[in-house]
Amino acid sequence: MFDIDWRGLLLPLAYLVVLVGTFMTFSTVYRKRKAVESANLAPWFGPHLQRNIYLSILHMEPEEGSEKAPKVPDSVIRAALLRRAVEDIHRIIQIRTAKQACSTLLQRGSVGDDLWQRFQRAEKEMEEELRDVVMEANALVPGWGQIIFQSANEIAANKVLRDRLEEIEQQTERDKEWWEKRRATIKNEFMKELDEEAGDKAQSKTSTNSVAGSEDEPVLVGTDTPSATPSGASKKKSKK
Amino acid sequence: MSTDYAYDEEGFLWPFFVFTLTLIITIPLTFLLIKRSRDPAASFPRIQTSFKHDHTDTVDTLRKQERRKDRKLWLFFAVIAGWAVMGYMLYLIQTTEAPTHKLWNPYDILNIPETATEKQIKSTYKKLSLRLHPDKAKPDPSKNETIEDLTARYVEISKAYQALTDEEIRNNYIQYGNPDGKQGYSINIALPKVIVSDGNGKYVVLLYSVLFGVLLPYLVGSWWYGTLRRSKEGVLMESANRIFREYKDTIDEGGVITALSTGKEYEELFKGDKADSGLSKVESRIFAEGELSPLAGGLSVKDKEKLEDLDSGPRRKVLALLWAYLGRIELDDAELNKAKFAVAPIAHSLNKAFNAISLAYMNTGPLLASYYTSQLLIQALPPKSSPLLQLPYFTPAVVKAVEGDSRIHTSVQSFMDRPDTKRRSLVVGKNLLSEEQYREAVSVAKQLPFLRVAKAYFKVTGERFIVPSSLVTLVVKGRFVPPGSEKVPDIDPNDLEDVDPAEDDLDAISGRKTQKLVGKDEKTGKPIYESAETEHIAAPLAAAPYFARDHSPRWHVFLTDSKQGRVAVPPFTFAQFDRPIFAADGRTPTFAMQTLKAQFQAPPQAGHYTFVMHVVCDSYVGFDTKMEVTLIVEEASKAAAMAADDEISEPDEDSIAGIMHAAKGGQPKKRKPAKEDDSDSDEESGTDDEDDDTSATNTDTEPEN
Repeated sequence: MFDIDWRGLLLPLAYLVVLVGTFMTFSTVYRKRKAVESANLAPWFGPHLQRNIYLSILHMEPEEGSEKAPKVPDSVIRAALLRRAVEDIHRIIQIRTAKQACSTLLQRGSVGDDLWQRFQRAEKEMEEELRDVVMEANALVPGWGQIIFQSANEIAANKVLRDRLEEIEQQTERDKEWWEKRRATIKNEFMKELDEEAGDKAQSKTSTNSVAGSEDEPVLVGTDTPSATPSGASKKKSKK
Repeated sequence: MSTDYAYDEEGFLWPFFVFTLTLIITIPLTFLLIKRSRDPAASFPRIQTSFKHDHTDTVDTLRKQERRKDRKLWLFFAVIAGWAVMGYMLYLIQTTEAPTHKLWNPYDILNIPETATEKQIKSTYKKLSLRLHPDKAKPDPSKNETIEDLTARYVEISKAYQALTDEEIRNNYIQYGNPDGKQGYSINIALPKVIVSDGNGKYVVLLYSVLFGVLLPYLVGSWWYGTLRRSKEGVLMESANRIFREYKDTIDEGGVITALSTGKEYEELFKGDKADSGLSKVESRIFAEGELSPLAGGLSVKDKEKLEDLDSGPRRKVLALLWAYLGRIELDDAELNKAKFAVAPIAHSLNKAFNAISLAYMNTGPLLASYYTSQLLIQALPPKSSPLLQLPYFTPAVVKAVEGDSRIHTSVQSFMDRPDTKRRSLVVGKNLLSEEQYREAVSVAKQLPFLRVAKAYFKVTGERFIVPSSLVTLVVKGRFVPPGSEKVPDIDPNDLEDVDPAEDDLDAISGRKTQKLVGKDEKTGKPIYESAETEHIAAPLAAAPYFARDHSPRWHVFLTDSKQGRVAVPPFTFAQFDRPIFAADGRTPTFAMQTLKAQFQAPPQAGHYTFVMHVVCDSYVGFDTKMEVTLIVEEASKAAAMAADDEISEPDEDSIAGIMHAAKGGQPKKRKPAKEDDSDSDEESGTDDEDDDTSATNTDTEPEN
């Protein structure tokens, strides 16, 4: 019935194949690259040291020679969990404060898309982490899960405050030293002034002469030293 | 009546086409090239100084390199090629003869004037037919005529005659320009015949596929990925991300410097083995004991720890070099010194990203730290160092002579406010400044643009009260008073007022023109304003002998809430002013009152709001102003009640408000005759309602300093 000219159709078909093939290769390569990129995104937070400590205490490997793992006292495990919760609090605070800023910056185009992806992943991880801590706490002491983060929060706030206090206290020594020195110089200056005042009355005439002389003097110095002073300064610098 | 498209065989059309096309492309490119090759900094005034430090040459070469980077070689060649093509096309147009199509004109054929009457036409035709009828005339062999020529000529003549006498043919002639009726016309395509001739087709197809299959996707792709690669602030996205990670609410200037060293932009500077070379030398220099600070680089112990925590590599070297730059430390190595001056401008550009990030957080501390870091980078000063080091020839030794052991730094202003003899006796001496150097330093100090705020207040345009959620304008009035200026004139109280434009002055309302104070009305004492073209006067380029870029100083005005430590109104940036700062010689200050305006929305609740207003200059250390301003927001109902009592605020009949008032059933107020006298000249119209235009209710606060 229909006499199909296969040879004539060859060209359009080849065109279609090339077109579709190009698009498909492009899309697969692009997607693969995206996936690799998002998989390789650096984590928002560094390694969670406190969690690692807690987990290693919880799952102590038996030492060589003995069959049973060493018994870790409950109080140590609980303390380790509390430390882990404190670190979590730090991270949550960081995420909460950064979230608003990060999303506005992303909208404005001031930060990149991958930062936002990293951020969202960190947020999700933190949610998991919190749930995990609550479950662990409940397993250790029933009902502890409800209050563990309250105490962790207080510990964290206390630590921040104490750090700042320490920082301020560290300065006291230096400030004291400086003030002693400063007081000595001020005292010296006062004494000198008093001496001068006493001397002034005797030499009031000669002092007027010296003032008149001093007006000329700087000009003389000025013509002599301009080449000498900068080079002197640079020499001083180079000696350091 | 055929329509056929012909290619341009004679070659007289396509030069026009190509010429137009090249013109459209080349003219903008040429404009771009001229604009680029002109030094953008040349149009700015400069601070006059002859100061040179040991590395002025290095800094100058870096500045020149940056300028050269802007110039694109391909642009130059493209423009040359464009003009060459246009020239050739013009030559072709000149030389190619266009085939001429003569208009068919019956009068010419009959050789009679167009004013000829019918009688004349008839007689001429008869005479001609007697002479030229093919039966009568003989072909002239000397003119190479044949019998056909004669016949053709006679047909033409009779056609022309008919065209002038016969009604139908005459109509044809008038309508179509030809006695035979509508003629076929041809459309020529302005492309040379060559591209469609046999054998060339495949090249044309190849050209097309290269243009649309390769070049277009490449251009679109490079544009798209280019926009993805850089953030809105013009830094690499990767750098912006890294800086975001470094942000902390308690960050100080040293922390900002550390954050800025994370940029990816530096990697271009330190490739391969350059990444580590000289690092230990730089570090030993910046950790040496300094004259003014415990460490020569001016960094705090905390910053030093941060630097030592880094892995050695490009980032650590960048940070060390930044501290060496800020501490103005001699590195005794041409390459290291050059790198030292090269990292600072990059850090300054990255600071824009940090600024945007700190604005997103809306915390005052980091935002201020960002501006202060900008000042430090431009002036090459470590954090918490003396502002006096900004002056030329001022070395740590000189600063020590001025400040002594005091922990509070002397600002340039307070140093210059001292009497000349006193400051001279402090700094001129052995190992200090020479007389000449002192004079140079003082002359530079007297050119620094210090914006002294005279008054800052809030107002709503055209209203007496600030009601909740209205659009409030913060008006900052200030004068540029360089440190150490003598004979500063008193402030003219008229300058401090901000008069609204008249209601019918649409240009002024929409900000298309500004008003200029010309004088005072003698009778009423009201200031007279004259509308003037907006002038944009930039402050002189920052006096920054160590910064390897030309930087035009900017002023940022923003309001913060001091209790919460948060930014209430984000910064408004001013780089240009409407009144001249310096007189024509470039060093005499005019002390003209400048007006800075920032608009924002008032809080939704009534009450007294106390803000701290910061006016921060991004180029000079210690030139910032910080003062308290109070925004009084009145209850909307109270403000309305007060307005109702007020006779003046009843709308005029010819204003929009008046029409609205009339529509509500109110009697529009007639203009007072006295006012008409007042407003007979357009120039004075701005002064009419001065009393109710100037918002007098707001708290005006005098600056602290």
